Amino acid sequence: MTAPSHRRPPSRIGAPPALLDVVGFTKSFGDVHANTDVDLSVQRGEVHALAGENGAGKSTLLKMIFGVYEPDAGRMFVDGQPVTPGNPAHARALGIGMVFQDLRLVPALTVAENVALSLRTGFRLRMDGLVRRIEEASRSYGLDVDPRAQVRTLSIGERQRVEILKTLMAGARLVILDEPTSVLAPQEVQSLFEVVERLKAEGLGVVIVTHKLNEVRAIADRMTILRRGEVVLNAVAPADYTDGALIEAMVGRAVAPLPRQRRPVDPAGRTLLALSDVRTDGDRGYEALKGIDLDVRAGELVGIAGVAGSGQRELFEVVLGLRPLTSGHVEVRDVDGVPARPRVAAAIPEDPVADSVVPGLSVLQHMVLDGREVPRKGVGVDWAEVGRRTAEADAKVGLDIAAPRRTLSGLSGGNIQRVVLTRELSTFSPVVVAAYPSRGLDIANARRTQEVLLEQRAAGAAVLMVSEDLEELISMADRIVVMHDGHVAGVVAAADADRMALGRLMLGGAA
Amino acid sequence: MTGVAVGAPRRTAALTARTGTAARWLAACTAALVIFSAFILANDVDPLSVLGTIWTSVLTEPRQVEQILVRATPFALAALAVVVPGRAGLVNVGGEGQVIVGAVAAAGAGMWVGADAAPAVAVTVMVLAAVVAGGAWAGIAAALRLVGDVNEAVTTVLLNFVALYLMLFLILGSWRDDAAMGQATSPEIGPGAKLPLLGTSGVHVGIVVAVIAALVIWFAFTRTTWGFRLTVVGGNPEAARRAGLPVTVLLLSALVLGGVLAGLAGYVHLAGAEYKLRPTFGANIGYIGFLASWLARHRPLAVLVSAAAVAAIAITGNTLQISAGLPAASVNILMGLVLVAVLGWTSVRKADA
Repeated sequence: MTAPSHRRPPSRIGAPPALLDVVGFTKSFGDVHANTDVDLSVQRGEVHALAGENGAGKSTLLKMIFGVYEPDAGRMFVDGQPVTPGNPAHARALGIGMVFQDLRLVPALTVAENVALSLRTGFRLRMDGLVRRIEEASRSYGLDVDPRAQVRTLSIGERQRVEILKTLMAGARLVILDEPTSVLAPQEVQSLFEVVERLKAEGLGVVIVTHKLNEVRAIADRMTILRRGEVVLNAVAPADYTDGALIEAMVGRAVAPLPRQRRPVDPAGRTLLALSDVRTDGDRGYEALKGIDLDVRAGELVGIAGVAGSGQRELFEVVLGLRPLTSGHVEVRDVDGVPARPRVAAAIPEDPVADSVVPGLSVLQHMVLDGREVPRKGVGVDWAEVGRRTAEADAKVGLDIAAPRRTLSGLSGGNIQRVVLTRELSTFSPVVVAAYPSRGLDIANARRTQEVLLEQRAAGAAVLMVSEDLEELISMADRIVVMHDGHVAGVVAAADADRMALGRLMLGGAA
Repeated sequence: MTGVAVGAPRRTAALTARTGTAARWLAACTAALVIFSAFILANDVDPLSVLGTIWTSVLTEPRQVEQILVRATPFALAALAVVVPGRAGLVNVGGEGQVIVGAVAAAGAGMWVGADAAPAVAVTVMVLAAVVAGGAWAGIAAALRLVGDVNEAVTTVLLNFVALYLMLFLILGSWRDDAAMGQATSPEIGPGAKLPLLGTSGVHVGIVVAVIAALVIWFAFTRTTWGFRLTVVGGNPEAARRAGLPVTVLLLSALVLGGVLAGLAGYVHLAGAEYKLRPTFGANIGYIGFLASWLARHRPLAVLVSAAAVAAIAITGNTLQISAGLPAASVNILMGLVLVAVLGWTSVRKADA
């Protein structure tokens, strides 16, 4: 690995100054060095990919650029002029716009009203004029958005366009997109990239955070890779590097691909998870599952694909007995075929922070919250025994969980996910239900998690896995069930799955 | 993981955090006193002399300290009645009613066994009656919460009024003591039913009950499976549900146990201090217990301290009225100021992750 040249001047002599130049940004939180001497340079009309594992320091860097954090050291230049954005409003005034991963729109308001929230509108709110301006802006940037539509009626992809529009209307010349593709179907990714191309053609700079190499190759002119808060590849052309080299730059070592050769599913194997005509209501009262039929056999891994909000969460919850059915039948069986309570299932929840973390309790205390009997000693919990089991589970699963005494709510999302994965996957469960198991994990731990799930499958478990990463589903699943609007839109054998065909099913079309 | 944490810096950090908290407490209390002084000044009284009076004639006066402890006893039990449901994430504002119902049941039981009953019999029956009544009263709110999803903070408050008027109904009617010369009180409990005093002091044994109750709850919270599960339910009910914990049973048990403790507070106040029900019986014990629990941040042992503190402020009121000519209610201002200042300044802020 070659170290980047640090004391680069903000601009080369003679060349016009870059749109954004960050030189030597450094930020520590206590004894954690989130960013050490980080450089980033974005030209006008450039799409710059920022990549790195979780915890590599991407968010910290972006937050410093956007004025959320103040850097401990380092300087920042916009158009060659030194600037120090003290807060996001100041950053916006400098022409920096940020589209966060979790979109921040008010669902009950219209597009125009949401845009108005981010603009200085004076005392009187003149909606008609704003609507016209939005229509003009959306035409000129190829953002297909109806200003009068209520945001809650829009798809995730459309909401993202509204967010981009918001930043543009606020005068952004540099648009930062934080992992924009993680919530999109392939077709929506494509239309997002068309928008990005358009912004580029208009002379804007775009920073796109992603760790998907195919996306980097599709859209980025240059890329910067961070690892442990330091720049390992500085503004390089992705075409000059192989996938292996880029992954190694992110992870620090080579990661072997998942083994493709696996024992085929025994067609006579027992069905351990059976759903027939399952219907249930979502949290807001509408029907979320509209008649799902689904079987998973012992030794089979079935993947669930779909745009976020297509019923995956409700499916997950009915399998675990957490959500009442309005009709139909869910059966979870033990390995010997006898019907079992859903407790037999191991579960990786969609949102571990909301669904698994009890604030103030330690890693050790969370290890007993798996639905099995807690080891007792007298009237209390046998914490020594729990400690032994935790060490054993950690050694077996190999995700290197945080110290047992740490408070779980003080850990990062990835560390929390590792605790939950270790707890749920350290013992064999006949049925394993995993929602986005590798979300929030770095590449090495994500790979290990995938291996552990495949080990459960090989041991004869029926595994049901929800994922937003089609590559992950194609490489791990035996069958992929595509959900759309509470229905099963199609079932595809993973061996002959095609990304675009899956995407069409996800969006409600025919395969 | 980042490098191995060395013991010493971590200990130092914990120590700084703790001294920081203590400093904030001190600052909060001082601020409350300063604002209170301004109030006293506005009444043309010298605040320093008032604070001096409080020190010499209340806090260093043995008889007054005994009064404080007697007053603190039902406060502590009523605070524990908030602590236990609070651990499960429930808000029990019904201590007031549960205290009254407990006392009413105890008084009724005392009348039932008769004034001449053996002390052991009288005490057993009265305690049982009080805790069952208090628990059942809280159980109504628990049932409404679990069946109808009605917020317990609302139902417990409303039940306070029901309890108060139930007591008034009884002491103005069938329980009215004919010997009380027209006053609306119940007959005094029998001599055997009165709680004995500790040695030669003026403090009755109820304080021992309160301390034991706090210790038992502390043990249950920190050392038992039930306490652990209650903590999980209170911390994240969804996580508890997904872990297969009996969430309904835990919520019910926590609120009912809260009622039991409040009922016990009612019993202790009746058998140790008041001896008979009167229209103002137990007034504000439940609410002051609620404040004491919040001051202690729902920690069972800290409740003993906060209950004593609010009792001291309450006792001070009488002194101020006599010595400084300030209205007795003026200490309520101090109590309110202390509470707001302490809650506002010592809140546990979420660490920046």
